[in-house]
Amino acid sequence: MILLDIALYFMVLSLFSVGGLPSVMPEMQRYVVEVKHWMSPAEFMQAFAVGQAAPGPNMLITTLVGWQVAGLAGALVALAAMCGPAAVLAWFVVDLWDRFKESPWRRAIQRAIAPVVVAMILSGGVVLATPGSTPDWRLWLIAAASAAGILLTKVNPLWFLAAGGVLGAVLLG
Amino acid sequence: MQVSPPRSLTELFLGFLSIGARSFGGVMPWAHRVMVEERRWVTPADFTETIGLCQFLPGPNVGNASIVYGKRWFGVIGSLVAFLGLFALPFVWVLTLFAFYADFAATSPLLRAIVTGVGAAGAGMFIGTAIKLGRPIANNPYVLVIIAACFVCVAVLRISLIIVLPVGLGISLLLARRGKL
Repeated sequence: MILLDIALYFMVLSLFSVGGLPSVMPEMQRYVVEVKHWMSPAEFMQAFAVGQAAPGPNMLITTLVGWQVAGLAGALVALAAMCGPAAVLAWFVVDLWDRFKESPWRRAIQRAIAPVVVAMILSGGVVLATPGSTPDWRLWLIAAASAAGILLTKVNPLWFLAAGGVLGAVLLG
Repeated sequence: MQVSPPRSLTELFLGFLSIGARSFGGVMPWAHRVMVEERRWVTPADFTETIGLCQFLPGPNVGNASIVYGKRWFGVIGSLVAFLGLFALPFVWVLTLFAFYADFAATSPLLRAIVTGVGAAGAGMFIGTAIKLGRPIANNPYVLVIIAACFVCVAVLRISLIIVLPVGLGISLLLARRGKL
């Protein structure tokens, strides 16, 4: 039962998505492309691109995975599963978090999470920019340009996506 | 600064709907604009603190913020309404865009090239964000070792996050408790 598979997998992933979608991107790619073969590496990257270009939380790429695998029902199930457990956790944790404002554990947790999240986000970028088994210098060039843009300017990131599209047309078309 | 929370569920829904509808290129800047600047539901300090918590929790950060604020103002119903408001339009929009894309991509190599370029730029945004978040803590060798080890496990060895995250967080937490981070 494929819907159940989607639901269970994304519910687990939901609780691991510390730092949001970027952190779970490498894992999702591993499962969807390498383990389940629901999408090819190129298809997965293109779904990611559509998810990034559309407005809204970038979690919406899970919708596209669900859609690809099981149509509208899959899309709804994937999104609900990806957001549900994390939402329930947030609902309960918010009061606890306020109560332990001065606790040394709270500060330790905050400090401990930061480097792990940085590593996951970095991995997400690297995995996505390398959709085939061999690195493609053209994709790396586009990724490097947009990383530099994020670091050096404050313009709306949508411009980097647009520039990536233009560069893609020139370099890959 | 004078703030007043939404007075009705409709107002709450419409506020989050307008965040979702306009949030091209990232939700958080738009959440700030709508909640702090336009509708004046919350103070900037309150917003920053809530987003800080939501970033550290699993899940989409503004999605979590919709749960937290919805709960604060209207309880469970508020959480549901705010969350649905945030996701309703982007959900429809992303599926429509993807359906169009799938129709044309089969026959147009140029379109595939463009979208692949957008994907690569999106990947670069992740890399840039990671560097931005890592820079202030990178003066600590323990931090660099954790980042490098997790990166190798996930991106190079392709070990499942379900193993790497708990182990990485556990080690990191031990180091933090000993004052190393």
